Formats: sequence, C-alpha cells, structure tokens
Amino acid sequence: MTNITTWEIEGKRFNSRLMIGSALYPSPKIMEDAIKASGSQIVTVALRRQSAGENGDNPFWELIKELDITVLPNTAGCHTAKEAITTAMMAREVFGTNWIKLEVIGNQYNLQPDPFALVEATNVLIKEGFRVFPYMTDDLVLAHKLADLGCTTLMPWGSPIGSGRGLMNPYNLKTIRKQFPDLQLIIDAGIGKPSDAIEAMELGFDGVLLNSAVALAQEPVIMAEAFKHAIYAGRLSYEAGAMQKRDMASPSTPTVGTPFWHQFK
Amino acid sequence: MIISVNGETKTFKTEILTIQQLLEQMSFGEGIAVALNEEFVLRTTYNETNINDGDRLDILSPVQGG
Repeated sequence: MTNITTWEIEGKRFNSRLMIGSALYPSPKIMEDAIKASGSQIVTVALRRQSAGENGDNPFWELIKELDITVLPNTAGCHTAKEAITTAMMAREVFGTNWIKLEVIGNQYNLQPDPFALVEATNVLIKEGFRVFPYMTDDLVLAHKLADLGCTTLMPWGSPIGSGRGLMNPYNLKTIRKQFPDLQLIIDAGIGKPSDAIEAMELGFDGVLLNSAVALAQEPVIMAEAFKHAIYAGRLSYEAGAMQKRDMASPSTPTVGTPFWHQFK
Repeated sequence: MIISVNGETKTFKTEILTIQQLLEQMSFGEGIAVALNEEFVLRTTYNETNINDGDRLDILSPVQGG
C-alpha cells in the first residue's frame, strides 16, 4: 500500500485518519475488537464521577491502556466555558496528555456546540498549554476566531452528535477547507455510514471522528473495518483528484473500428 | 462536617482536614482527578488542600466517551 495517507496532527504522526469513540458498544470486548478492526490510532475517552470504594479499579481504562493508542479526552456534557476548562484540567492530569477535544454544548435538543463558550474556553486552554481540538459548528467565522486563537486543528460537525445524518452542509465544510488549507480539519459527529466518511474525505478533510456509526451498527466490528477502508479510499480519492462531471455521456471504449457502426439520428 | 461528594451529601464525624484524607477514608484509588467547588485541584496539592464544611467535591475517573 502507498503511504500517501500518513499524516501529522498536533505534533504526532499517524497512519489512520480515523479517530474513534469508545462509548455505546454492546460490550467491552466488542469495543476492543471494533477499535482494533478500525485501525484507528486515536480513541476518545471521557471523565465522569467515580463511585467511592472502588479503590481505583477501572476495567475500562485498563482495557484502553492495553490497546496502546493515543487517547483524546473530551469535555462532553459541559455547558459552560468554566465547566469545560475545569474538565480539561482534570483530563490532562488523569490521562497525561495536553490534547483535549473541547465540547461545550449550547443546546440540549441537537447538542449543538456553543460557539461563544467554545471560543472563551479555547482562549484559556491554549494559554494553559493545551492542544485544543474544538468540536464546532460549520461556521466559517467561528473557524477564523478559533484559528486566530492558535488552534491548528478544527473539528466541525457533519450533523448533530449521534444523528447519523451524514454531512448536512457540504458547502460550508468545503468553504472551511478552502479557507484553511494548512489546518488539520476533522469531521466530528453525525457520520452514519462509510459513504458519509468517504464524502468527508473527498471534500479534503484530513480525518473523521466517529463513534455511534460503529458502536450502534448491527455488527460493530465489521462496520469498524468498513470505515477503515472507506476513510482510506476517500483520502486516496481526494489525493488522486476526481474527474469532472459531464452532462453528456462519453464512451470509454474506443469508437474507431467499431463493427456494425451506425449513426444515431 | 457536611460535604458534597460527587453530588451526594456526606456527613463526616471524624474531622477531615485535607482532600488526601477524604480520598483515603472513602477508598478512592488512583487514576482520579479532583475538583473542589468546581475548581481543579492538582494531585500534588491534595495533602495541603483543606476541606471546609459545605464544600463540594467532584472526583472523576476515565469512562467511555465519543
């Protein structure tokens, strides 16, 4: 295989352009197998209140550590910049990474990120030494604000978290890609099928972050492999450059020497 | 002394002075992070961070996430 898809994000180099979530799987074993089958080298994790008396027992975290891949903690569930900043600080200590998938939810119905709180939290966290992966809407001006603060990765949504609706607004996504050719752009949320991921990659996005599309599939492990191939194929397609669409048909087989040739009227 | 720990009200008869003492008494292990009144507390300061009546502690550990 060509290594054309090797890429670098936030100072680390990876082969896979798929970032995968660790939630919603039918069992820990299926999660483990799906992550392996996906070929992903980056997995998202979260923090929640721990019950007293567990003495640090955490089978989930032990399993993730055994996978020996890069973890990207999130601030899921935060509704204010302050909550997100505190959660990010806690994540940095627990997971030992300055990477943070910054989520600040602004609406409970569609879990749309709050652009104002996102900018506020990003501003603080970058000054605190974090590498911020902002989960954002596909708003061009917001992208500029985040880039101005020092983000080198942006993660616009394809559609609402867990909706599986694919890319709602390819025009906006394409515009962000055009305006920020040097930033790492990841589609985060809303991917439902491998064909959605291919579309994202063919738009020139650098990667895809997804969870539900694999975890909620009838066969998560097989779907994980499907996404692995889709994202690879989508990137190759982007690198190769697709042909232009035409209104008229054009025969691919040579017409010279065609037997029984006749002219349509 | 009454303290909120992960949203639950706890009453401590014995005097708990620091975060370190509370974590030990409640058998919280390693791999956690602590916020006191919604402010992050560095692990290295658990021994010197006092807890007062009415304080709210959040003790978090890794879980599945998307």
